[in-house]
Amino acid sequence: MLAARLAAALLILLALSVIVFALETVIPADPVRALLGPSAGADALSAERHQLWLDRPLPVQYLHFLGNALRGNLSVSLTTRRPVVRDLAAFLPATLELAACAVLLAIVLGTTFGLVTARRRSSAIRLGFIAWASVPPFLLGLASLVVFYGRLHWFPGSGRLSAGLTPPPGPTGLLTVDSLLHGDFAALRDSAWHLVLPAFCLAVGPAVSVGRTLRSSLQSVLSEDYIRTARAKGLSSRQILLRHGLRNALTAPLATLGLQAGLLFAGVVVVESIFAWPGLGLYTARAIQGVDFPAIAGVTLVLGTAYVIINLVVDLLQSAADPRLRRQVTRSVGRVRAATQDY
Amino acid sequence: MNVLEVRGLQVSFPGGLSALRGVDVTVGPGEILALVGESGSGKSVLALAALGLLPSSALLSGHVRLGGADMVTATDAQRRAARRRSAGAVFQDPMTSLNPTMRVGRQVAEVTGSPREAVDLLDQVGVPEPGRRARQYPHELSGGLRQRVMIAMALAGDPALVIADEPTTALDVTVQAGILELFRELRDSRGTSFVLVTHDLAVAGEVADRIAVLYAGRMAEVGAAGDVLGRPSHPYTAALLAARITTRSARSRPLPTLAGELPDPHNPEPGCAFAPRCGAAQQECRTVVPALEPSPRHAGQDACIRSGQVELLADASGLSEGPGWQRPSTSSELALQLTGVNRTFGRGRRSQQVLRGVSLDVPKGGAVALVGESGCGKSTTLRIAVGLDSPDSGDVEYGHGGRPQLVFQDAGASLTPWATIGELLAQRLRNERVPQQHWRDRTVETLRLVGLSERIAERKPHQISGGQRQRAAIARAIVVPPVLLACDEPISALDTTLAAVVLNLLGRLRRELGMALLFVTHDLAAARVVADEIAVMVDGRIVERGPADQLLDRPNEAYTRRLVDALPRMSA
Amino acid sequence: MAAVDPVALGLSATPKRAHARAGTGAPEKAALALLIVITAISILAPLLAPHSTTQPAAAGPFHSPGHGTILGTDELGRDLLSRVLIGIRTSWFSALAVVASGILIGGAVGLVAGICGGAVDSGLMRVTDLFLALPGPVLAIAAALALGPSLLHALLAVAIVWWPWYARIVRGEVRSLMARPHLDAARIAGDRGVLLAVRHVIPGLAPPIIVTASMDIGSLILTLAGLSFLGLGAPPPSPELGAMTAEGLTYVLGQPWISLVPAAVVFILAFASNIAGDGIRDVMADR
Repeated sequence: MLAARLAAALLILLALSVIVFALETVIPADPVRALLGPSAGADALSAERHQLWLDRPLPVQYLHFLGNALRGNLSVSLTTRRPVVRDLAAFLPATLELAACAVLLAIVLGTTFGLVTARRRSSAIRLGFIAWASVPPFLLGLASLVVFYGRLHWFPGSGRLSAGLTPPPGPTGLLTVDSLLHGDFAALRDSAWHLVLPAFCLAVGPAVSVGRTLRSSLQSVLSEDYIRTARAKGLSSRQILLRHGLRNALTAPLATLGLQAGLLFAGVVVVESIFAWPGLGLYTARAIQGVDFPAIAGVTLVLGTAYVIINLVVDLLQSAADPRLRRQVTRSVGRVRAATQDY
Repeated sequence: MNVLEVRGLQVSFPGGLSALRGVDVTVGPGEILALVGESGSGKSVLALAALGLLPSSALLSGHVRLGGADMVTATDAQRRAARRRSAGAVFQDPMTSLNPTMRVGRQVAEVTGSPREAVDLLDQVGVPEPGRRARQYPHELSGGLRQRVMIAMALAGDPALVIADEPTTALDVTVQAGILELFRELRDSRGTSFVLVTHDLAVAGEVADRIAVLYAGRMAEVGAAGDVLGRPSHPYTAALLAARITTRSARSRPLPTLAGELPDPHNPEPGCAFAPRCGAAQQECRTVVPALEPSPRHAGQDACIRSGQVELLADASGLSEGPGWQRPSTSSELALQLTGVNRTFGRGRRSQQVLRGVSLDVPKGGAVALVGESGCGKSTTLRIAVGLDSPDSGDVEYGHGGRPQLVFQDAGASLTPWATIGELLAQRLRNERVPQQHWRDRTVETLRLVGLSERIAERKPHQISGGQRQRAAIARAIVVPPVLLACDEPISALDTTLAAVVLNLLGRLRRELGMALLFVTHDLAAARVVADEIAVMVDGRIVERGPADQLLDRPNEAYTRRLVDALPRMSA
Repeated sequence: MAAVDPVALGLSATPKRAHARAGTGAPEKAALALLIVITAISILAPLLAPHSTTQPAAAGPFHSPGHGTILGTDELGRDLLSRVLIGIRTSWFSALAVVASGILIGGAVGLVAGICGGAVDSGLMRVTDLFLALPGPVLAIAAALALGPSLLHALLAVAIVWWPWYARIVRGEVRSLMARPHLDAARIAGDRGVLLAVRHVIPGLAPPIIVTASMDIGSLILTLAGLSFLGLGAPPPSPELGAMTAEGLTYVLGQPWISLVPAAVVFILAFASNIAGDGIRDVMADR
């Protein structure tokens, strides 16, 4: 069963590579000309073209691209002039740290929202949820920057670490973890401080979605017959909510969490460029300015893979929560997801 | 010391719906009380009120004493404690009533405490291999086992009282018999009292020590099971008994039916709620609410001011019996002929052969009932017979006439929600190439034939009542008389008094229109009333077929005998 | 309709649709009215805008809101109100266009898959699921960049990742309608093929599509504004709300209104659509 899901995930990744390759070939600008600059002669261009396999038929080009990608060879970035893979390696840890914090925050906030509001049917709660879900990430970023950094000076407004501090050397590249490992508490405190605003801005959207889904899914679970059975047993409402309600209500919010990962990645680009956070998002924002498709292709592959892995985990968590799902052969990661649209 | 005492209980809901209008009932230790009534009688509300499980919007007055607490006035915590200590509950559908994500052993142990006790309890309620079953999830068990798990759960903590709301309605007849037997055993071995809520007098007769009959939110009659079933003193009880479809119901004329409908629970009329439908009602009945008083006919009580004065039963109970049926005109021609039909679903290892060489013919104008338990292949046979499915091998042939039609179990759902009844009828007229100038007349005529007014043609399904939807579905089937009218469990979801009405309608239509009838059911008694011949189906095969009465009286096959034996019988 | 049905009470402890009935109050009506106003603004925007969207207004650059200009001016002295009005027009019509394309493409795919079933169904749904299994917003960024910066390309990029939702929902709805007894009943009554679909399936698809679309417009507004913020919409100086926010980013600490005003307008658009969408869903659920 796990094997079937892994196979499905691999197939999706293969499709991702096809899509990225296809986008690379539809690009109107000539990538070789962009790489070599306007002064390069016709001979140099065709030599480079041959070197990059661009004079072969498309299927051959694709296999070449796929082989390279699997060996960790992507093209050279047009803006940084370095191999995209090296750029990705350099920028990934910062994003990983930020995104992990945001996801944890979203889970905690979302679960709390959901549980606290599940048993109240007030229209204020509903409007509150909708309002928070309607805030564009850039408004949230800008407003918190203006208020908490510009006016109140509570939190730093850019970067991962204050100017006077030296980042701890390795091994993970996650500043909070590394400084903890090295016992550098000044750096730990400072890097955690830098995380607060961007992580919060990223977490709000997913937290609201997860909270809203959990709330409506709890509400429908709480009207199920087996909840009446639990009440007939004489269990307290708290026992009923946690033992019989929560686990049965988990499938939909888990699916939402998996879906929100995609939005979160897009949010990373916005939030990192507002807070000058040196991660993949900032790299992407600069690549967009420089019309640097090789860089974007690399980012798309990395984030796409991350998304597929996250949703594989979500799938496994869902079947851990609901034994009825274990028997079913999942046709693809998208299956359970569609059910959550109408929360 | 009674384990449950209900005194003057009234329950109403916001919007003016009054579900219970002053009910008194008690349950003694080690006693099985059956609470009998049709839908809308308030029997389920009474069960939930006893457990203190009504929604908080319900308005209650009166007293419900359970385990030392008054469930009407107690706080939430006190009610919870009373339920925990003194009561268990079994609900109708064990699939939805068990938590799907918790192992059944843990669900039982949640109240008793130790897994060991849970396994013991599962053993006591007759779950085989209780140790292994305890580690399974509800979806891994059969319907009968799930209901036994529910019962084990209700018994956990050794309550004095178990309230079971329609515990066998969702189960097959043979499984139902086992569950009812279990109730009796548990009463004897553990001294547990049961309240059994049911719409089926026969189920009540099977196990109950006492029977309480509810009508429109009031108690009509209470007494020892034998007395209530054998010497009913309330006209409603008598009507219910007479309208029951049994293996002894007359086949030569329409079933007796109860005129009128349940009173509107929003605007109850003064006086006895049954008076408008009662043959013995007098002027006084329509003004005075009768109190529950000792019955003149048995040791129990009834709420009827006339019970001591008139000779009751058939003539006075409001039942109408029509003249005898004319003999249906059957011929040697066939309306339907299935020959050697095989059908397999799925492929490879998961494949399942549902039909194994089914041969079945229905003569023109004749009626055949196909009887069997769930999963035996009777529904697949029906689908093939009307052309909704095709056999893998074998032949399906029809006689001359309109194409075969089907009356669905859920008649309401078989009507397209956004189309009017008139449109649905017109669609069939068009498909059968009836000239358009006749549509209007045919529609009106057919609606009248099934007992609907022509105004129904303009309505959509959700704008008419459940009974009207059932008739509308039948109207669509017969607007062009089909060579064969197939019926898929058309009465299994209906109350006793309504079921008889539908069977009479089908019987009349088939005689008037000369249609052949293929009637699929799990109910042998209904099969006997409707059909000339009965075919019994097990595991995709027809094992026995014969004239209806002969098959019930002298079944040849062991399986048929088991089905006949499992029919609940009145102990009276 | 009765508040509580005693038959339902026996089956379920609490009425399941109480939530649906609780909705559709004043906020939903206000939101719906606001959306009508927004549509009117969008249509009339060129007439309503007091100044040019590309030429500096008389007030000069960095003019704060009030004092003669309602929403102030930006770093180049352009009138923000005029730019925001045209921005609303772009935002609103873009979101509607993408929803419409999603309904058309996804609806067609879902309908064909659902009605044909079998190999056609599994083939189409595999492609659909593939798109759903990839991060749509990230793909949209890549696609928009690959196609080159223009509003049309951005819309195309989002439409490419958006239709699979509709395909899934429509297909699911078709399958569940096809499994309902009324379809079997119609078949037995003699309806076949296109007639069957037109009479007994397609009318049932309108409610879920309307609900999904109305709940969807809010998130589309946000997604499109996000792309525009990243420079993937129409190139400057076109007044797009996201791009205007991004342009004002440099001055956000000194002259925050240049950024915050267009960002707040995006919020209002999304908020009004989401509340109206919720209201429409409740109305449909009650029917």
